Amino acid sequence: MTELVDPEDPAAGLAAVVALRRLADRLEDSQVEQAMRAGWSWSEVAEVLGITRQAVHKKHARRLVAAGVALRRR
Amino acid sequence: MPSDVKDVRALLVHGARDEARRDGSRTIEAEHVLLALAATRTTPAARMLAEAGLTEDAIRAALDREWEQGLAVAGIAIRIGLLPMATPDHGRDPHIGESTKLMFKRAMEAPPKIGAGRIGPTRILVGLLDTDRSRVARALQVAGVDRAALRAKAAAALAQGVR
Repeated sequence: MTELVDPEDPAAGLAAVVALRRLADRLEDSQVEQAMRAGWSWSEVAEVLGITRQAVHKKHARRLVAAGVALRRR
Repeated sequence: MPSDVKDVRALLVHGARDEARRDGSRTIEAEHVLLALAATRTTPAARMLAEAGLTEDAIRAALDREWEQGLAVAGIAIRIGLLPMATPDHGRDPHIGESTKLMFKRAMEAPPKIGAGRIGPTRILVGLLDTDRSRVARALQVAGVDRAALRAKAAAALAQGVR
């Protein structure tokens, strides 16, 4: 296993942080959508993500309704 | 998009907002402005970008490669094209991100001095190219574009009155 980042090149390490945040955002959007399409409840999604049901609902509900995903009440 | 728009800033922000939504971003960043600028096609700025090989498609490809390189530094080897997609939120109203604020600041500072609200695509291009720390700069490097030379060309055009 090599070192994660080059200690002489903080620019590459900082750019990696941005790339990871973008990846996490893309995965969250796509996987929440996938779970809701599969009939998961907001509570179930929230528990896996480790956040409140209200938080996941606030962040994703409008987009998923617009995308035509049939949402369960709870 | 017509090239005789008096102030393309609003149009650019509109286009950049659409790019941000498509990208799933909660903020409008400089790379979204760059894509919107390239999409104006007939403006001098879009022509300078195209002459450097930076069409919309080329910019998207370069941004994906920059993303892949960033992830590779963290030990993640993936092709962006193979990532699962999320349905974009067309109702989202992304706000202006920090990189876009910096771009506007740099654009306003570029000579010649301008009056309020008179900011054209060439000036925006200068503002976009005026840093080597941004995601735009990294994407251009990945694409093999000489950012400094392109910046000098855009700045010279701006100095000659090209909007």
